[in-house]
Amino acid sequence: MEEAMESEMAVMQYVVVELKNEGAGAGAHVAALAALCDVLAVAGDHLFYAFPITEFVGRLPQLVAAGEGDVPLFAARAIAEACEGVPLWAASFARYGAVEALRDKLLAIDCIELAEECLRALGIICKECPKECLRQGVAAAVLQFFDFVSMNKQKLVLKIVANVLSDFDAKDVDKAMEAAPALCNLLKSSDKTILDSAVSCLGMVSDGAGGSAKHMEKLYELNAVDSMMRLLENNGWKSLSDETLSHILGLLKDLASVSARAVKSLFELNICDLLKQMLTYYTSSHSDHDKVQTLVELIYHLMPPLEMCDHPTELIIAKKNVIIEQSRYVKQIASILTFIIQVAKSAALSSICYSCVVAIRNIVELSTPSSLVEVQKTVNLSSLLAGWLARKNRHIIFQMLNVSKTLLKKHQKFFVETFIREGVKHAIDTIVAQEKDAKSNRKQKGNNNLQESCLCFDLDLETSTNNTCRIDKGAILKLSEDIKRNFLVEGSAKSHHRFGCAFKSIKDFFSRLNYHAKAPPAKDQDLCKQLSDFSRQLLSDELPSTSNFEFVQSGSVKHLAGYLSNGAYFNSNLRNCQDLIGQLNEVKNRLQKFTHLALTVDNESSVKPLGILVEKLIDALHVWYDSFPVILADEQYTRESTMIPLRDSGTEQPTSLYIKFSRSSREEELDHYGRILPVDLSSTPESIEEVLLPEICKRTCNESAYKETIQEANGSRTSVGLRGDGPKSSRLKFSYKGTHLQSSATFFESILRSMHEGQTDLQIDPSFWDKEHKIKYRRRNKSKKISSQSSYNTQLSRVHEKLEMSLLKDPFFSTIFIGKLPGDLDESDPSYNFLFMLKVLEGLNRFSYHLSMDEKLCKFAEGYLQELDDLMVTISPIPRDQFVSSLLTNKLEQQMQDTLFGDGLIPSWCIYLVETCPFLLSFEARWKYFCLTAHHSFMTGEVSSSTETKKYSVIRSKILEDAVSMLNKHGSDTKFIEVEFDGEAGTGRGPTFEFYTTVSHELQRVGLGMWREDNTSQDCEAGFVHAPFGLFPQPWSSAKTSTRWISLSDVVQKFKLLGQLVARAVLDGRVLDIPLSKAFYKLMLDQELDIYDISSFDPKLGKTVIEFQALVKRKKFLEERTSKPAADLSYKNVRLEDLCLDFTLPGNPEYELVPGGSEKMVTLDNLEEYVSSVVDATLKSGIANQMEAFKAGINEVFALKTLRLFSEDEMERILCGEQDSWASNKLEDHIDFDHGYDTNSPPVISFLEILREFGREDQRAFMHFTTGAPQLPLGGLASLNPKLTVVRKQCDGKVDDELPSVNTCRHFFKLPPYSSKEIMRQKLKYVIKEGLGSFQLS
Amino acid sequence: MALRRIIKELKDLQRDPPTSCSAGPVSDDMFHWQATIMGPNDSPYSGGVFLVTIHFPPDYPFKPPKVAFKTKVFHPNINSNGNICLDILKDQWSPALTISKVLLSICSLLTDPNHDDPLVPEIAHLCKTDRLRYESTARSWTQKYAMG
Repeated sequence: MEEAMESEMAVMQYVVVELKNEGAGAGAHVAALAALCDVLAVAGDHLFYAFPITEFVGRLPQLVAAGEGDVPLFAARAIAEACEGVPLWAASFARYGAVEALRDKLLAIDCIELAEECLRALGIICKECPKECLRQGVAAAVLQFFDFVSMNKQKLVLKIVANVLSDFDAKDVDKAMEAAPALCNLLKSSDKTILDSAVSCLGMVSDGAGGSAKHMEKLYELNAVDSMMRLLENNGWKSLSDETLSHILGLLKDLASVSARAVKSLFELNICDLLKQMLTYYTSSHSDHDKVQTLVELIYHLMPPLEMCDHPTELIIAKKNVIIEQSRYVKQIASILTFIIQVAKSAALSSICYSCVVAIRNIVELSTPSSLVEVQKTVNLSSLLAGWLARKNRHIIFQMLNVSKTLLKKHQKFFVETFIREGVKHAIDTIVAQEKDAKSNRKQKGNNNLQESCLCFDLDLETSTNNTCRIDKGAILKLSEDIKRNFLVEGSAKSHHRFGCAFKSIKDFFSRLNYHAKAPPAKDQDLCKQLSDFSRQLLSDELPSTSNFEFVQSGSVKHLAGYLSNGAYFNSNLRNCQDLIGQLNEVKNRLQKFTHLALTVDNESSVKPLGILVEKLIDALHVWYDSFPVILADEQYTRESTMIPLRDSGTEQPTSLYIKFSRSSREEELDHYGRILPVDLSSTPESIEEVLLPEICKRTCNESAYKETIQEANGSRTSVGLRGDGPKSSRLKFSYKGTHLQSSATFFESILRSMHEGQTDLQIDPSFWDKEHKIKYRRRNKSKKISSQSSYNTQLSRVHEKLEMSLLKDPFFSTIFIGKLPGDLDESDPSYNFLFMLKVLEGLNRFSYHLSMDEKLCKFAEGYLQELDDLMVTISPIPRDQFVSSLLTNKLEQQMQDTLFGDGLIPSWCIYLVETCPFLLSFEARWKYFCLTAHHSFMTGEVSSSTETKKYSVIRSKILEDAVSMLNKHGSDTKFIEVEFDGEAGTGRGPTFEFYTTVSHELQRVGLGMWREDNTSQDCEAGFVHAPFGLFPQPWSSAKTSTRWISLSDVVQKFKLLGQLVARAVLDGRVLDIPLSKAFYKLMLDQELDIYDISSFDPKLGKTVIEFQALVKRKKFLEERTSKPAADLSYKNVRLEDLCLDFTLPGNPEYELVPGGSEKMVTLDNLEEYVSSVVDATLKSGIANQMEAFKAGINEVFALKTLRLFSEDEMERILCGEQDSWASNKLEDHIDFDHGYDTNSPPVISFLEILREFGREDQRAFMHFTTGAPQLPLGGLASLNPKLTVVRKQCDGKVDDELPSVNTCRHFFKLPPYSSKEIMRQKLKYVIKEGLGSFQLS
Repeated sequence: MALRRIIKELKDLQRDPPTSCSAGPVSDDMFHWQATIMGPNDSPYSGGVFLVTIHFPPDYPFKPPKVAFKTKVFHPNINSNGNICLDILKDQWSPALTISKVLLSICSLLTDPNHDDPLVPEIAHLCKTDRLRYESTARSWTQKYAMG
């Protein structure tokens, strides 16, 4: 070691001497330098300390510049080696002119080796002194011979440029711009990394240029716009990296903001289409609000700047001229306007909304009156304006007022009229009144404390020196009064009249409905008919043309809610149970009538009234934007779209809040606490009370009082009726800064709310977490009065047992009967009524089949229907996704992007919506929510981190036994399960997936006694149960718990296994291959099944049972209401005795429905008992043990109730994945084409294309329509027998008017040869959708 | 229950046999029957005796029996495997129907084929366009397979 060091020092001495000798020849210098390089290359730290750097710093650059032969090469290498060893030396070299020397050699490009060595040296120096390098023109120099250097060095070049440009002073802009031409050239590169760096460098240049017009024009001249647009077009933007795309959009924005020529090119290159594509992409499926923001900003900058910014007027005029000269450009912006309005409509953050609004204002300014009228007609801008004007954010209001003003200026006559109709005028009036109020209040109280983050500068490029908000206190008042005075003066009497008319008829109708609601059940048939005629006319003619404003203002929602819940909404007083049952039946009748009205259409093309109503309600709900405030902590990240796994990373300390609890000054009984408690984000006064109460009650020797307190609390908890969702009675009252806290809202939210009063979307200040927050508590006064609500609830729960339709026990109907949404949402909140109404309509839509069927049964009973075959439901529900609110979904998505969301940074409205109105949120959003919150519901205390797995080995031949023992052993452990098959080589994902598939197949084996159809499917060679309508548990009699082969306990164990398997599959993101029926999923989600559900998994039994039930009702009606004898009632002209049915379960002669049932024959007199016992055995008692075991299996792993936010269809999607029932590439192999078609016929080609484009639901519906069953046998389309065959349908009239039809025996699909693919798709969609409703019973 | 009902139907058939058909269990298994149908006089199947197998499902009469021709028949609604496309054997089944009614329906199907919803489109096409040829083929099949 020592020796080595010594020899190194000796070499050094020699080199120093040799290099100093100017007279020495090139050869000697080279030798010395080479020796130096060798030493430096292998030197350790010790050498660098001893290195005589001062001897070299001046000399080496000289040698680089002036040396002969190979001297510069070795000198450059020495510099590089030295700087690599000690980066600090780079600065010293730079001081002695190394940068210039290296640059010059590089530009001289005598030999490529030298050039590369220079690059290497510069690569290191530029990290240390980027500014020096920039000033010496290094950026441009290194790029000069880009194409000549090797791949590796090219990357180095770009690194150098990036370093040099990373942060330069404004005065060096010119130097930076020198690099621009070469960088612009690189935009054409096909190499992705080169492209990425080039774009990022250009971005830096442009950032540094700070939007200076001169430099941007230069960039434009370098064809930057063209090259970048070329990268984006033809979906190129999808293949770019995220960062690069952001840079490109930023660059385009910078260019467009100052250069009229750039704007022209962009329009010429069809930027608007591109923007539309990108906006759709980033607002819908790939929600990314940063991108949306950038895109909106780009749109804003394409337009001439608004007069309030201090831009040179030439630019305004120039941009204006560019756009106005070409009529296609004007058209383009008109189309982008409708787009951006949609974005603004569902924007979850005020900042995005503001940007959109400013851009809208910008575009409106440029648009022609006629195009604005067009926009109004397509997207109803005015209605949205009215909504935005009702928000709290003053910046948005101000800009919206400006938009309104511009609209009025452009086309006063038209917009005055629409403004009145859509409520814009009303909104402006309100603003004037509020502002005047606020003004006078200010005078009295001094400054009001409305703090709102200013959005004025979000869109500006240069940082202005004058950063005061542009909207001063009087601005809004001034502007709104100005609009009122100049445009909205009274006098447009004619339009006013029309407005009043529509308004009045809506209002009349709904109040009339309500009048009937309060009156006793109407017996008068004429009146009923009149009312229903009137409602039909109103729902299908008037409603579509009524504006949202009229709809909301007319109070229709409240009236309709009152009608449907039979006035319970207004708190009725009921004397006894009989009354209540009468009321409930009346409610049911109304729901049925309304369902019928709302889902019937006159012709196939028109929209169902329910659809219109829902749309209006959702639009109206969006007006109450501020009721759903997003609360964000500092950090945010974009989450993956699929959220498996569900385990919390959980390694960090969960965020908590420091709260100091102290006794209120007026409180005397309770003890003083006064300590600081760290409190979870999710804790509420309710949850903290349990901790706090014992502490503060302890020392007061008032022990008995405490006990009493506790008992009382417990007692009242159990007494709560209906599903136990009622409020617990709390003993303590908490307050923060004098305001009382809601007991169910989290502390953090309540505190935050009161800190930021008047603001909607909050950004949490980091200091919030460090502060200690003071909360006062005191005893709550005993409330003496028992609310009438709760007595109603108790009555209702008592009546519940007596209800005839178990359907009415569903939570949905409880909601209607109580006339109140579950949970304690603030009923005074303006959004409440709309939520309630939507909830009612959603339930009505979901239960439309049940309600409608029940109605038919009643009609049959009363003799309006004569034939049992007429018991058919003709209406079909509207798609569930029509209930999704884009705004609320976006808001939830936004909220979920916050890092603290998993810790409990969940505003109460999120929890509330997810639990009460999940249908308002998209499935994707709810799935994300489930994933982020699921770890709270795990049955194990500790949640392991996401990477841990536990391995198991199973034997293929006894896979079920092994699965049972494995899942029992694994229990509630949250570790991933990994499976390998004994004696097989594979491990990891593959075998684990196969394990789930195989076990789910094994559970479908014939002879397990698990499923219906088990004993009937004789023709099933494969040995698996084929249930065409999905698997449903086979009933087991409690009296007879084993047969020759199987015992009930085996079956129950298998169901438990299925439960565990399901839970594991959800948790680990595995997929099962098991076609469970919708009804089974409903049971899983704790929904009630009733007689009408049987036909969903066993249509023939279901149909017969319903027909029997109809007979029962008819008999009852005849006996009770008329003197006609009921004894001669028959079932389709056959006496019931002749059917020869006994009291055993159909298909299971050993299952006696009553003791001795196999000897008891079914007659007309005991038909009712028979029907109810068959239904009970099929849906409840016969499968209770199995379902219990299944649920227990799930509950072992996580709380089953957390799944309730999904619908049965969605549960299936989660469990069975999105796998197609047919492999789309093999479609042709499994379908025959015959009778006029072959695989090459154009209609067949279109047909196959359409099938491939179908989603899972559509595929399912298509199969249902074609084969009569939604479920293909195991093996899919390939194992369908007979094979699916598409044949040409002979058409007499116009082909395009025909509908496809089927022969379900032969699996023929008869397809008319339509003239286009689009028409074919339309017709296909129509038949498979509408066909289904009527298939339920066929 | 199914068994009780099947026995009742058998008794009814024996007490009051239909004119053109007969039916009964093949062996001890009451759920597996065989029936014979006389070709209706006003049809090309006249003179033939057709064998039909009947399988009752365990949940009979809530589910339809499975009925198939054992004898080959040239008919638009009966395919080469003997499967019959008849609405009352599919979605239009009702517990009010009996085997005797089903057999009668099959008889009338022999007389009046339903060519709007065929199981064998080629025969249906022939039946519609060239009635005579259809009838002669049906007759010759009857002679070949259903007589003797």
